[in-house]
Amino acid sequence: MVFNTGAALLDAIVLAVVSREKEGTYGYKITQDVRTTIEVSESTLYPVLRRLQKDECLEVYDRQIDGRNRRYYKITVKGTAQMDLYRTEWKNYSSKINHLFEGGISV
Amino acid sequence: MNRIEFMTELAALLQDVPIEERRDAMKYYNDYFDDAGEENEKQVVEELESPAKVAATIKADLLSSAREHGEFTEKGYTDSRFDHRDMPAGKGERDGGYQYGQNGYDGQNDYRGGFREEGYQGHGYSGDGQTPPRSSNALKIFLIIMLVIVGAPFIIPFGIAVIAIIFAFGLTILTVFASLVIVSVAVVFVGVCVFIAGLVSLVPQIAVGFALIGTGMILTVIGIVATVASVRLCTIVLPGIFRGIVWVIGRPFHRKAVV
Repeated sequence: MVFNTGAALLDAIVLAVVSREKEGTYGYKITQDVRTTIEVSESTLYPVLRRLQKDECLEVYDRQIDGRNRRYYKITVKGTAQMDLYRTEWKNYSSKINHLFEGGISV
Repeated sequence: MNRIEFMTELAALLQDVPIEERRDAMKYYNDYFDDAGEENEKQVVEELESPAKVAATIKADLLSSAREHGEFTEKGYTDSRFDHRDMPAGKGERDGGYQYGQNGYDGQNDYRGGFREEGYQGHGYSGDGQTPPRSSNALKIFLIIMLVIVGAPFIIPFGIAVIAIIFAFGLTILTVFASLVIVSVAVVFVGVCVFIAGLVSLVPQIAVGFALIGTGMILTVIGIVATVASVRLCTIVLPGIFRGIVWVIGRPFHRKAVV
């Protein structure tokens, strides 16, 4: 991809992916879901998830699946607030870029 | 490289990160392999490239958490402060309606700033959790080294002196007992000599001769009894004394070992 996905955007994308699942979702699935949208290497997302967890945007819990504990990530209230913020920011940012690219003169 | 080899190497590479970070990362990648399924194991290992890369990514993020602002993205290390600068200006008015309760922010940058700071101070490993034990360990090692350096000129001569005193004490006791035995043997010898002298002087002066013979016999008997007694004393008392010395020396060490 030509455009660099910055840290904030990557946070926003991961939050968006996780927030789609009410019950929470797990590492492998998050990676697969994110990769349907942007190119990321498999080792990229763990630090992002860990950081969001430390920032209390995500919470983790273990659930029994096939006789083992799978770690689930779930969005928190704080995470939802952060997601709303990112969504608004992105809307402003992308609309300005779109406007510029699609013939607008004033930014 | 298979999954087991990958995880083993990753664990080895993460030895220097805080235990909770290591456990969390290991859990994540273990789950990841489990969820990818055996059929995708090879592909996952290939896509993760190498345990070294995964470990480096984790460590880079920990390091940037410690620095509070930097972050690791798929393009490498990024400082989020520079991202902020790229955000459109004039947030304050438009986002003014947002009230998230915990910080009551006015502008996007304020909110992010406060939020990040809180997150890192509360949960950052460099902040409060792991660093103090590490530094106190280092302090301990430092103190031990200092103790050795400062204490060596004192401890070494002191140790030599203690050993010399113990050695001298043991030697003295040994000598005392040896002299007892020698005295006893000498008494026997004197007794025999006196007895012989008595026999010789029996012809010129019979009374003196008998007296000397009698004295000689008594001395010989006393000498023999004393020799036997002192030898017995040595065999019984000496080992006891040495055992006692060893016990006295060993006592502080034993006590330390018990504690």
